[in-house]
Amino acid sequence: MEALMVELKQAIIEALNLEEVTPEEIDNDAPLFGEGLGLDSIDALELIVLMEKKYGIKLKDAAEGRKIFQSIRVMADYIAQHRTK
Amino acid sequence: MLTLQSWIHIAPTGACLEGHSVPVTDSNEGLLKRLYHQYVGDYPKFFKMDPLCRLGFIASELLLQNTPDRFSPREDRAVILFSHSGSFASDSHYQQTIADPNDYFPSPSVFVYTLANIVTGEIAIRNHYFGETSCYLLNRKDPAEMIAIVEEAFLDPQTRSALCGWVEYVDETHYETTLFLVGPEDHTGKPIWNQDTINDLINF
Amino acid sequence: MERTLEHELIVKEGDNLLTPLGMTSAESYRAVKAGQSALRRYEGLWGVPEPFVASLLDRKAIDQALDAHYSIRALETYSFFEKMAILSISRALEQSSVDPASDRVRFFLSTTKGNVARLETENRYRPDVLPGYSAQRICDFFHNPNPPIVISNACTSGLCAQIAAMRALQQGRCDHAIVVGADQQSKFIVSGFQSFKALSPLPCQPFDRDRQGLNLGEAAATLLYTRRPVDEIGPTDWIACRGAIRNDANHISGPSRTGEGCYRTLRAVLQDTPPEELAFLNAHGTATPYNDEMEAIAIDRAGLSDVPVNGLKGYFGHTMGAAGLLETVLSMYALDDQTILGTRGYVHCGVSHPLRLSATHATTQRKSFIKLLSGFGGCNAALLFRQGGDLC
Repeated sequence: MEALMVELKQAIIEALNLEEVTPEEIDNDAPLFGEGLGLDSIDALELIVLMEKKYGIKLKDAAEGRKIFQSIRVMADYIAQHRTK
Repeated sequence: MLTLQSWIHIAPTGACLEGHSVPVTDSNEGLLKRLYHQYVGDYPKFFKMDPLCRLGFIASELLLQNTPDRFSPREDRAVILFSHSGSFASDSHYQQTIADPNDYFPSPSVFVYTLANIVTGEIAIRNHYFGETSCYLLNRKDPAEMIAIVEEAFLDPQTRSALCGWVEYVDETHYETTLFLVGPEDHTGKPIWNQDTINDLINF
Repeated sequence: MERTLEHELIVKEGDNLLTPLGMTSAESYRAVKAGQSALRRYEGLWGVPEPFVASLLDRKAIDQALDAHYSIRALETYSFFEKMAILSISRALEQSSVDPASDRVRFFLSTTKGNVARLETENRYRPDVLPGYSAQRICDFFHNPNPPIVISNACTSGLCAQIAAMRALQQGRCDHAIVVGADQQSKFIVSGFQSFKALSPLPCQPFDRDRQGLNLGEAAATLLYTRRPVDEIGPTDWIACRGAIRNDANHISGPSRTGEGCYRTLRAVLQDTPPEELAFLNAHGTATPYNDEMEAIAIDRAGLSDVPVNGLKGYFGHTMGAAGLLETVLSMYALDDQTILGTRGYVHCGVSHPLRLSATHATTQRKSFIKLLSGFGGCNAALLFRQGGDLC
């Protein structure tokens, strides 16, 4: 799970162009949206693309995404359970 | 009668503010990123922007950096930009995300930049401008047409100044922007906003 | 616009709507009045993996109609996008004596994506994928000597193009303005809106509580404007009074939670026009959850909650660069017919500030309306129209 979380952070930094953020700076349990990384609604949509492209998980809309994109840990848990690739 | 308050030009060879070359440190990064690190530095949204927006954004930052009350919300300033290639760079990038049926992942964060006017919105958001934002695409760089359209934007009684000009991005080695801050006559000896003035200042 | 010449107003001289339901404004209006919609479900079209609902033009019918006007060989190298604009302009010109080749005529093209579909066959930089080039080709077709202007302000382009034309007329840069809006749908655009999760799997339901998003559409629409002295304006002439463009200064894709830019455009065009004079407010009404809510907030803030509101996306979808012109023309034809068109797809109020919306048509004796649009980049536009010769 630790390895998946590190991999996920790196993937998020790349997909969302968080150029000045390092994986170490992202807390596994901190909220991804709102304060902190400053992610917005387009980032949420781009995370939906990342889930499908990298892990083969299809989410139907942003509302479903919001439940999963709470923190790195919640996301990694979901990926571990549902990944198809 | 409108006057030209200040202007900036950026091309791959460097940036030039009011006719003076803008010093920029050497590094492996491209010019726009170097200018960002050196003169802005606190707006990470920059890295999410497409190249056209980065170009227009950096030019507007350098042009406005020393203006008083810069971030006070205002409705009296229009942002009016002109381009030839518009969003082509992002159009081409987005097309790559949908071209291969076996690797088909349309990207929302690329798609949003396939609208040429997003650059005017990025500048409005950064500076809290509620005024008019307009993007015009021309078949060639046509100063007379640009000057006339900017003048006509002042027919809106709330518009008192305009951040306007040319912003063009094709690829890393083919880009150019010239932005102007244009306002009402202020008796400070600023030049009149017309074709002769901008031809004298720069080889526009 | 304070410099308006006291004795002249900007008047509609011709119009055309090229839609899946008609090749003229009158035909398209009749279909809408009869409650028809051009929205259909498409599966596997253009290689888009997910099905979508859209309003699409019949390419063959456009070619046939053009062939009746011109030798089709003269148009061989024109794209479908350019052809639909040319056909729409031709039909609008038939209603007037304006010579498009005159140097006192200017062309304004409203489009968001122009020939972008051409990147699908060859993804490289070249002139014929740029909207400025399309505009020049359209202008050349009509032998017009002036540089054409493309207005590319996302979904607000169709109103911004009319505003740009009004300004050029007011300043005396031209005597007649040909304003055309067009967009061709393609895999590029459909997939992009799908990636935004913005498309409804069903025909859209503007302002409804169950709305699930928008439908895309394609159309071309033309408005021909001219300057005319006040004393020559008749009671049935349509006047473009006042327009405004404002930004939310909030987010490049998410509408403002306070309807900021939209509210400010309304404030700017209303000035001292009493709301009781407005027959209706024709909203953008894309049927996405956020757009419709934002508009409801802005309309309420502007003190217009008692004015009837309608949205027309249920008939032709969101026609992007054409929307501002298409919906303006439909609204004019509706008021010529003393009608407030119903909002097709609307059943239950689904916005936090109740609006005077109805699924069915209503009648009115009033003679003015406001057209609203909002789009990506945070831009918003509003334009006030009035029938008859009173000063705006």
